[in-house]
Order: sequence, then C-alpha cells, then structure tokens
Amino acid sequence: MSEELIKVTINGTEYEVEKGRRLIEVCNENGCNIPSFCYYSDLQVQASCRMCLVRIDKMPKLQTSCTINCTDGMVVTTNTEEIAKAQRAMSEFLLANHPLDCPVCDRGGECDLQETVMSAGNVEERFHEPKNSFAEKFLSPMVANDQQRCILCKRCTRVCDEWMGETVIEAGNRGVNTVIGTYGGWLNCSQCGNCVEVCPTGTLLDAVYRHETRPWELERTVSTDVYSSDGMQLSIGSRGGKVHRIVARDRYVNGLNGEFLDVKARFGHEFVNHPDRIKTPLIRYKKGGKAIPATWDDAISFVADKLKDSKNVGVVASPRLTNESIFTLKRLATEALNSDNYAVSDAYNLAPFFDNLSAPLCNHKEIRYAKTILLIGGEPEEEQTYTAKQMRQAVRNGGAKLIIVNDTPINLIKSATQFVHVNKGSYEAFVLALLDKKNDKVSAKKLGVDKAELEKVRVTIAATEGDFIIMFGGDLSAEAQAVLANSAEKFASDKCKVLYHPLPLYNNSVGANDVMQGKKSLGEVLKESKSFIIGGSLQDANILEEKDFVVAFELFETETTDKADVILPAASFAEVDGTYTNNAGNVQRVRKAIDFVNQSKPDWLIADAIAKELGVDFGYQSSASAVFKAIADSVPAYEGLRYPALKNESKPVQAKHTIHSAKDLSNEIKALTERVEALAGETNKNNETPRIGHKLHRLTTLTSRTPQFHLLANGNPKPENLHVSPLKQFDTDGKAVAAS
Amino acid sequence: MEIKAIGCEPLQLKRMHVKDGHTLKVYEKTGGYKSLKKALEMTQDDIINEVKASALRGRGGAGFPTGMKWSFVPRQSPKPKYVVCNADESEPGTFKDRYLLERDPHALIEGMLIAAFALGSECCYIYFRGEYNYLIDIMDKAIEEARKANLVGKNILGSGFNCEVFTQTGAGAYICGEETALLSSLEGYRGHPRMKPPFPAIEGLYACPTVVNNVETLTAVPQIIEMGGENWRNLGTEKSGGTKLWSVSGHVKKPGVYELPMGYSNLEKFILEDCGGMLHDDKKLKACIPGGSSVYIMNAEQIIGKNVLMDYEGLVAAGSSVGSGGFIVMDETVDVMESTKNLIEFYKHESCGWCTPCREGTDWLNKILKRISEGNGRPEDAQLMLDICDNIEGKSFCPLGDAAAWPVQSAIKRFPEDFKNWLFRNTNGN
Repeated sequence: MSEELIKVTINGTEYEVEKGRRLIEVCNENGCNIPSFCYYSDLQVQASCRMCLVRIDKMPKLQTSCTINCTDGMVVTTNTEEIAKAQRAMSEFLLANHPLDCPVCDRGGECDLQETVMSAGNVEERFHEPKNSFAEKFLSPMVANDQQRCILCKRCTRVCDEWMGETVIEAGNRGVNTVIGTYGGWLNCSQCGNCVEVCPTGTLLDAVYRHETRPWELERTVSTDVYSSDGMQLSIGSRGGKVHRIVARDRYVNGLNGEFLDVKARFGHEFVNHPDRIKTPLIRYKKGGKAIPATWDDAISFVADKLKDSKNVGVVASPRLTNESIFTLKRLATEALNSDNYAVSDAYNLAPFFDNLSAPLCNHKEIRYAKTILLIGGEPEEEQTYTAKQMRQAVRNGGAKLIIVNDTPINLIKSATQFVHVNKGSYEAFVLALLDKKNDKVSAKKLGVDKAELEKVRVTIAATEGDFIIMFGGDLSAEAQAVLANSAEKFASDKCKVLYHPLPLYNNSVGANDVMQGKKSLGEVLKESKSFIIGGSLQDANILEEKDFVVAFELFETETTDKADVILPAASFAEVDGTYTNNAGNVQRVRKAIDFVNQSKPDWLIADAIAKELGVDFGYQSSASAVFKAIADSVPAYEGLRYPALKNESKPVQAKHTIHSAKDLSNEIKALTERVEALAGETNKNNETPRIGHKLHRLTTLTSRTPQFHLLANGNPKPENLHVSPLKQFDTDGKAVAAS
Repeated sequence: MEIKAIGCEPLQLKRMHVKDGHTLKVYEKTGGYKSLKKALEMTQDDIINEVKASALRGRGGAGFPTGMKWSFVPRQSPKPKYVVCNADESEPGTFKDRYLLERDPHALIEGMLIAAFALGSECCYIYFRGEYNYLIDIMDKAIEEARKANLVGKNILGSGFNCEVFTQTGAGAYICGEETALLSSLEGYRGHPRMKPPFPAIEGLYACPTVVNNVETLTAVPQIIEMGGENWRNLGTEKSGGTKLWSVSGHVKKPGVYELPMGYSNLEKFILEDCGGMLHDDKKLKACIPGGSSVYIMNAEQIIGKNVLMDYEGLVAAGSSVGSGGFIVMDETVDVMESTKNLIEFYKHESCGWCTPCREGTDWLNKILKRISEGNGRPEDAQLMLDICDNIEGKSFCPLGDAAAWPVQSAIKRFPEDFKNWLFRNTNGN
C-alpha cells in the first residue's frame, strides 16, 4: 500500500486516503455504509453480488465499489435515489429464489442478507413465481448445507482455495441452477469450517450447533483458542452454563485471526460440558484402590497433610494451562514446598531458543507480508493452522518465497518455492549448513540432498528484500535451537529484516516457558521426586507407578489420574479467567464464559488453596488479575502488563522477550557438529503426503466422544476407548507424543 | 440459401462459390497470402495504422475499432502476446462466421498471422463454439497445409517471424463468446467472465497481452492490407469502413449470408427487394431484429419509409444496432410476446450465474413470461418486466445482462398490442 495520500470526495465531503485503497472500505470507514455480500477484504475480488454499486463522476455506468481503487480527485456518490434503487433491486433479485422463512433458519438474527434487506426498509415482495428449491443436506458431520439459501457470493469457495488451499467446495451447474457443492457430495477436507464462518446467509451451517439455540440468546465471550499455539481469538457462545458454539464472526470478535478458525478451535468444544468430566475431588486412600469422592476442604487438607513433610516435591504444569495457573504452580513449588523441582510437561522445551533469541518474534500479520519464509520441520497446516494460512497467502498474494525443509512432503509444499526433502531426524544438519557454508558437504550427505539445494536456499535468503522469517517445528535439539536463534545477524542486512516464529505444539507453550523458567528438564523432575503435583496429565504416566504420592488436577479421567492419589477437578478454558501467550509472543486473554462445571476450580485457585493450607498466602484474594500482576512483576518480558492493557483483542500485546546480541556459541556448535556427524545419513524419507485433519479424526484427540467426530473416526476400531483429554497431543504417526 | 454481395464486389464472400476455396492452392490462386507477404515487409506500426485508417470495427457485436484495440497492446512488454480468434459464434440469428470458417479458412489464418506479426505475437488460438466441432477438421487441415508451405511455424517465408496457430473448441456455452469468458474457458477454467480492467489487451490469456477478435474482423485484415486502409474504408462510410456480412433468416424468400457495404441504403429495400421480399406475399412485415437477438427489436413503422442506413450510426439512429449482423425478419404471424419468451428462455439458460442481476433477473423474466404464456398474465406484468430489465441493464458483470434486458424492453415498448392481448385477456379467468 502506498503511503501517498490523495483526496477523494464522497457524497460531497472530501477525505484524505491512501492511494490505491479500495473504495468500498474507504466508504465504510467514513460512515457511508455500502452493503456487500461477495466482497471480503482478505479474498480475491469477485464483484458478483452487485450490491456495492456507486456512482463515480466521469464513469458511464454505476460502478462496483469493491473493484475500484481510489484515485486522486475521484468524486463518488452513494446516497442518491438511483443507488438506493440499484441496491433494492439487487436485494430483490437475491431474495427472489431465497426462502423467506428466517425464523427456521439457524443464521436468522446474524444473517448479512437479512440485515441488509431489513435495514433498507421497503420490503414489499414482487416475486410471486414459484421459487427454485433444493433439498437440505449435510456435507459432513460438521457442515450442514441448505442450498436454496445460497446467494452465490462464493466466499466459501474462495476461502477454501485461498485460505486452506483445499478447493473441495466449488460451484457446479450454470445460471440460476448454480449450486455450491463438493466433489462426491461429501466434504473431503480438514473440516476447518471457515466456509461456515464466512457464509453471509444460512447456506453453510455449523452442524454441531444445528437448531440448538438462537444466536441472540447466546452470551458471547471473547477468548483464546485452547488448541493451537497461534492463539486465535474466538467468541464462545454460551447459554445456561453450556457452551453451544464457538465462532470467529467479526461482529463478535476481532482478533489477529480475523474470521479464521480451524476444526479443533471451532468444533472441539464439547469436552467443556461433557458428562464424563470429573465431578468432585477424589481421594484414593489406598494405592490401587478406588478413588472416593470427597469435599474440597477434605481433599485440600489431605493433600497438605501428605506434602507438609515431604522434601523435594515435584510440580509439573501442562503447557495448556493459563499463565496464571502455571505461575501459581511454580510459586507453590518454590514458596510453599521449598522445592526447585518444577517443569512444564512439554517435550519441546523452548528455553534454549529464548535464551539466545537474536531477533524479535514475528506476529501473524508480518508472516502475511513476509518476502522469504524458511520452515524447518513442523507441520503448520495441522498444528498451527493460522500460520499456515498466512504463509499460503504470503506466497499467493504477496509473492513471498517459501522454503520448506521437511522429511515429509507436507501439503504446504504446494505453495513452496523450494522443498528440501531431507532424511528423518536430520534437521540439525540443515541448521548446521545454514550456519556456515563449509558444513555443506557433511550436511548434504546427512540430509540426503544435493549440495546445490543448500546453496539455492542460501541464494534465496540473500536475495530477500523485506522480512525474512525463520520458522521451526518441534524437532530441533537444544543446541540447534540455540544456534538458530542466535544467527539473525548472518541474514540481516539493510534490506532484510530477520524475524523468528517458533511452532510449538501447545496453546501456551511460549507462556509456560516464560513464566515457569524451569531450571530442570521434565525428565529430571520426574526422576528426582517422590511426590508430585501435576496440573494436567503426563503424556507417559507409567513413571508415576513407583511414586509415593501424586496429586493431579484434571478435567477427565486419564492414565495420569488412574495413578494419582488425589484427583482434583480442574476447570476448562471456558470457565476461567487468565492469559495465554501464543507463538508470536502475544499475551492474550482467556475469559470466563460459563460457570464452573460440576465442582471444578481453576488450577491456580487449587494451587493457591493448597499453599494456604500449607501456611503460605500468595495474596491473590481469588483474583486472576492479581495473579497476572504478580507475573508481570516477576517475569521481565511481561513487565508492566495488566489485564486492562490486554482488553482489546484486536490489538494484541507482544511480550518483550529479551533480544540477545550474537553470543559465543562455540560449545553448542561443537556439540551440534558432533551430533550431525554421528547421524547415520542413510536415506530415510517419508514420501507420502499426510492428509490434514486425518490424525485428528482418526485418533480423535479430544472430541471422539462427540457424535460428529465418531462419524469421522474412520479406521479407529474403538474410538470410545480413547481417553478424552485436552492434554493429549498426537504426532503425525498417531502416537502420543512422549513426555521427554 | 443465398450467399452473395450486394452493392459491392464480394470481398468476404470472394471464395464462397469457388470450388475448393478452402484449399491452399485455390486460395493462393485467388490472391491469398499476398497480404501476408506484403505485411511482413511493413513495420508493425504501419500495419496498425492501416487498420486504424480502415475504420474497421469489431464484427462480433460491440463494434469497437479494431485498430484502436490493437494499439492498446504493450508490444514492448517482455510477456508473450497472444492473438485469439473468437469463433464462438453463438448469438441467435448469426451464422456468417460458419461460412467463412467452412469455405475460406485460409483467409482467417492469414488475418491472424498479420495480426500476430503486427502485435509481436508468436501464438494464435482459434476458439470454436462446441457445436462447430466439424469445422475444426477443416481448419486443422488448412493450418497443416499452411505449415507445409512455411506460412505457419518457424521463420515464416524467410522473414524470421515465428507464429503458431492452434484450434480449440468450447463446450457450447453462449457466455464463452464474451471475450474474457472465452479466455477463462481457453485456459481450462469455468467459462466465467473476468473483471475489466485489466482489459485483455493488457492482461488477457494467461495474464499476458491478448487481442481477441471476431472471425469476420480478422478475415477483413488481409483485404485491408491488400487494398490499403483508406480504400477499404471508402467502401463504407466515414465511421464504419468496409463491408459487413449479414446473416438473414426468418420470413423472407431468400434467407442467407449477404455482404453489404457499410451504410447500405436502405433497410426496407434490403428486406423487401434484396432478400426476395416477405416469405408469404399476403403477410406484411411486422418486426425485424437487425443484429442478433441481443439488440433492440424494430417494428415495421421504424423501417417502412424511413430510409434506415445499414451501418453502426444509421441503425442506432433508427433505434437498434448492428450487433453481430444476425438479421431476423418476422411477419404478422409472429406474436412478439412468444418470440420474446423464447429469447428469454435462451438467456436464462445461458446466463453463467456469476452475477446477481443476470442470474436472478433472467430467471424471473422467464418465469413471468412462462406464466403469461400459460394464460395467467396480469396487467401489471408489463411494468414489472420493464422494471426488472431496468434493474439488470448496466448493473450486470458482463454485457450478457444487458443483452437479455434490451430485447424485452424493446418488445414491450414497440409491440404493446401483443402484450396487451396476453396481459388483459386472462384465459384462466383469474
């Protein structure tokens, strides 16, 4: 976008706008509201609904304002009789074959078509002919389709193509018989549901929420996604203590992700009100015995009693918990239990990365406008869907160069400028090659690629004019992370700005690293202690067999709670106040949408109660904002932050992670070189492109017990036997990710 | 079936009655490929200037000056340039290109090569409508002949100019005759029109500079080069140069393809004398659609005794337009309400569904006209249809919307009696 300001006259008032901006946006920003259905600022212009017609001086016909870029001296009229007639005509045409039974439509009350028509007034109907009709159907367990309500704005097809890169939904037939359909009548995709989100009418509908309630009866709470580390902002629609749906419609929430959500964020909320939630505190008085319900007071004093005299109690926090909970658990360990045995139950430790960070983290908008993106490992389309979408659009709309280094031909390589197909487990060799040209020979051998490919990567990076973003998935060793994080200086120039973007697995991996600041690894903690307090579950609970005393805060019965002596019902993300820190370092609010389900409590409140019982008062007075203030006071990156400063989800606040200058990392480099040289170097590559979303459906990470996911859970013989836990994460092969 | 020139030497129709006129041998014997040789020795600017001087206007229907269109192409652009021939002749009532393609394919090849040379293009496509499949063989053979004679391919006639000509067929959609939809279809996408700007001259086929011209436009190019732009223009009028083909059908004794100089005087004489008069001597002329189904329909009062000149300006002044020259004559036996219903059914079927007014408007008009024809007309329907047409006209994405609205508007306004009969005589008694 040009910085140059030009003058545009709209309805007689002169405005100064940036040159080349879309006229429809300029008009809407300045109070001349122009209705439109097919226009969507993040998608290719379509100009098919013809609602946004305006009169521009010196142009022969009415012009669609969505296709017009502002030029200097443009004179625009939007409020004449002629425009009103045109708009009325278009809504009349759109309604001609659209059923007028809004009261039975799920979109009634939040339908763009309904609102545009009603706000124009004068709604007498002249169409008395029989309407074309189509039968209602389900495109998938997630998406219901009522074709006759379609106004063919094609937002859904464009979203599917441009955002998701999937093109599973397309227009078929011609003329008035045009229908939006799928190939084979079934949505064969990751079920992201973005087509449902952007649909301006009730054509594509959330099948999970179908006929549950009316939108105006829902309470809306803006919160943060509990699955991916992108920290997508969403709106929880709840009523009577039940979460009914999750949307990102921009009338309710205006976060960094716009209206984008993925399948987990949008549909994976049934666990919140699931009947299997643990209802009361449970105490297992005898090892291997039955867990007996207890009151909160009894349970807390039982725990305090047991731990009072224990030395070296281990405290483990899940990276899915809020910053507040993780921080309180840490304080519980350090202040109440006098233990330094605390860690985050995340196999992927980001500490070496942040300790050596030499350039800022990039936010998601910067990805969209980046010029070169280097992705080492990871599968963002599955785990960090919003990042993947921004990458795809950076390539498609911004002409960015995307270099993908992976052992698997992931779906995103369709957008890549260069795909370096490397051997399994050899990402470190790539980091080493990136570090210094002289390592090319050994690296190329271990990676199983040609040396020229590494040179090509280097040339692309060197030619970057603009932002260069380094992304990496969860497979890098501590040394590789440290070296990579410290190498910004090598790539930066006057023209090129280097930015980092880690791709951790969990929604609060970055925050957990920030507030926990554990000195020990998870493996060490698990080994050294005899008694444990675990917020969440462990990926591999077998180690708990031989422990003396285990307390677990959980939503559901898991393998960890099976081995725990005291099980305390924790509250889900929809029931608590708090913050998550996403992979861009944005500290974002989680807000309480519904009352606590059963007798559950937020993890931090449970930890606080145990500490009080042990005689230590953190001074929180049951207020999450007080916990956050304590975090801000003790974690340098969060200094000065308070809840009111995080109020506006459209302006996410970035934590100020320290930027280190180039360090002497010769030890790490030496270790890295040795490890690379020790690699077998035999050809060992995945050649099959994994289907996005399949692991979710097949292995049913979270929502397998909801009927919708049951249907999708093909290939799993007994989905009901899988444990339902938001703390489980599966890798691409479907195995649970090991704890350490 | 008459194929002849009236009021001028046959130029477009020169080889229509020559035996084996479609072969290279006969084509060259009758003066073919002379213009190409001449053009290859001219500069690109000279060729474009000749075409400008000829006042040749696009024969596909819009009548845009061809020389002007060519001059919009950025010849210095590093992208490849394309010349595309629009042989998707699907306007109801038009069949002139079919005879050119069938009996004189080399004229089109020569025209395309000259255009390609003038625009610095090395690749030409001929896009046939789906129903013209049988013409592709003829064209392919002609291209093969030309290739053997070094008229197509590398280093044409030793000039260093390379050019390939390819044929491609559509699937029979009317919308693919619209130039941008044609390009979408040619690229292998759904035949949807594209946004203008960018115009095809800047970003057309595969986002490269492209000129899309009608068959008749391109076959006129060799004539222009041969006789000079000024001379060619003088055959017609100041603003509409040269000659034009008219595809005459309907209630006349001699339907066929007629070549007339632009500005031919006059329309009444053409129908009643040149075309052999009305089919039935006792039936009078009632209506005439002079330029294919998409133009305004004319009634007898606008034609009889009005000295209507047959060129772009003359027909516009008389209340219609040249369009593609699909000349449909109707006598008294025709009920214009029913003929309009037929037309709208066509437009409803052929609307691509991209934009709201055309998709829903044509469907609505079709439903109303169907209801009227079933005897359930209401007096207010005429006003309603006019309003619907007004809401489509000028608001649709591409000209198909306008093309559907104009015939209805003109039919209701110019033949009110025909509609009154249906709207006020509700045969079902309700």
